[in-house]
Amino acid sequence: MGRNETVLNATPSLAARTGNFFHRYANPGRFLRLGARLQPWLTWPAIVLSIAGIVWGLFLSPADWQQGDSVRIMYVHVPAAWLASSGYMGLAVCSLLSLVWRHPLADLAAVEIGPVGASVTAICLATGSLWGKPMWGTWWVWDARLTSVLVLFFLYLGHIALIRAFDEPQRGYRAAAILGLAGAVDLPIIKFSVQWWNTLHQPDSITLTAAPTMSTNMLWPLLVCTVGFTFGFAAILVARLRAAVMESRVRTALAMRRGRAEAQDSEPDLSGAVA
Amino acid sequence: MTRKSRRLWLVGGCLIGLGTATALTLSAFSSNIVFFMAPSQVHAHPPAADRTIRLGGMVVAGSVRQQKNGDTPVSQFDVTDGQDAVTVHYEGILPDLFREGQSVVAIGSVLADGSFRASEVLAKHDETYMPKEVAEALRRSGKWDPRYGKAPDAASWNSMTKSATSQDKAAPQHGS
Amino acid sequence: MTHLPYIVAAYGMTIGLAVILGTSAALRLRRARARLAAIERPSRADSRAGGASAP
Repeated sequence: MGRNETVLNATPSLAARTGNFFHRYANPGRFLRLGARLQPWLTWPAIVLSIAGIVWGLFLSPADWQQGDSVRIMYVHVPAAWLASSGYMGLAVCSLLSLVWRHPLADLAAVEIGPVGASVTAICLATGSLWGKPMWGTWWVWDARLTSVLVLFFLYLGHIALIRAFDEPQRGYRAAAILGLAGAVDLPIIKFSVQWWNTLHQPDSITLTAAPTMSTNMLWPLLVCTVGFTFGFAAILVARLRAAVMESRVRTALAMRRGRAEAQDSEPDLSGAVA
Repeated sequence: MTRKSRRLWLVGGCLIGLGTATALTLSAFSSNIVFFMAPSQVHAHPPAADRTIRLGGMVVAGSVRQQKNGDTPVSQFDVTDGQDAVTVHYEGILPDLFREGQSVVAIGSVLADGSFRASEVLAKHDETYMPKEVAEALRRSGKWDPRYGKAPDAASWNSMTKSATSQDKAAPQHGS
Repeated sequence: MTHLPYIVAAYGMTIGLAVILGTSAALRLRRARARLAAIERPSRADSRAGGASAP
């Protein structure tokens, strides 16, 4: 596979040359130390808050006056929708760092965000469907909100495919970064679709500009679930990214060892050492 | 560094261009992105009789007539957007959330007499979520009737329902 | 509860996916760490010319 060794080998020299703020954190060793320290502070709050939020939402919060118990699907649907959008926001930031600053850790992060983001988007769509059938009377409609979230899902899938599509990983990173950045125009469309056009989907209950249109004993479990799921998303991402950095180190070490062995065999086959 | 800043400007320029193009496209097609037409739009621009459209609005309180045609329920109700109303005929089971004052989207076509024959009725609920007791208390306080409009601000529920429960305590004496 | 099957399906799906993503990430991290440790130990040893073992 030989994906990242050339990038990560180049990192220290790049960092030394520019002294750029970003590149200090592009140092994989520094990231591994930071990630190992951070991991328990993400994982444990994620587990505790998610379980608390789910129990609260499922058993302790009140049923809605007109939706009955179906409103409880909100406690998984809304966090999934929030993470689908914010995950893509993270992907777009990584794409920018990759395109402009050639930030190697951003490339690895983009590879890892893709599948996790696509999964939460799928959960958002599926739980929305399961909520729509009993309440609206339909699994799916082609209104602006639902369609723009489906587009987001396909953007994630396209990114996943594109970033792995090239033999030379650098080309995949560039191409996927362009897609990731261009796809970011979908984010404001998702956010404002329910205000700009009339849709079957209701407007947001929680906004920055107005008080939430929800009773507090429903708002609290929703907030706890959202914070818990967000920690979970971050914990999974950091774990995957740490694993990716370690895997690339393993590949680098193997390639170096192979190169050394070939040099000892006094066969200067450079292509083997590079690939 | 110059290469980096050139890349930054290039990426920024592309993004602005792409954003503008998307915004223009969306505003040009915004009438097609709209999921449903309001009754006043249907009256202003009546669609062709065979064209399937989606009609959205609020079910007018007191306009719902329901009867049974064999096993299938047949219903008739008015849908309004506050300016105009269209009578909808629908044969089939209405969604659970259907009620007077609820927003609905009816899929079907306009008949020659200006009424609307729906093949499907979807309920559109609003973004207000509240427990049954709060809704009950609001209704009893007389400050909100779900048949005539949206629930009041969540921030005001507490004071409203408080006055409702104090009225309740007083109510039995008057009633008996 | 009304519409119980829909609620159960939504929660089951979410919890199931969270568990799958979480455990797969944890297993992948553990495997990567083990492989890295296995690969770094001999190389460190031969760079120190067979000196004292790593702390």
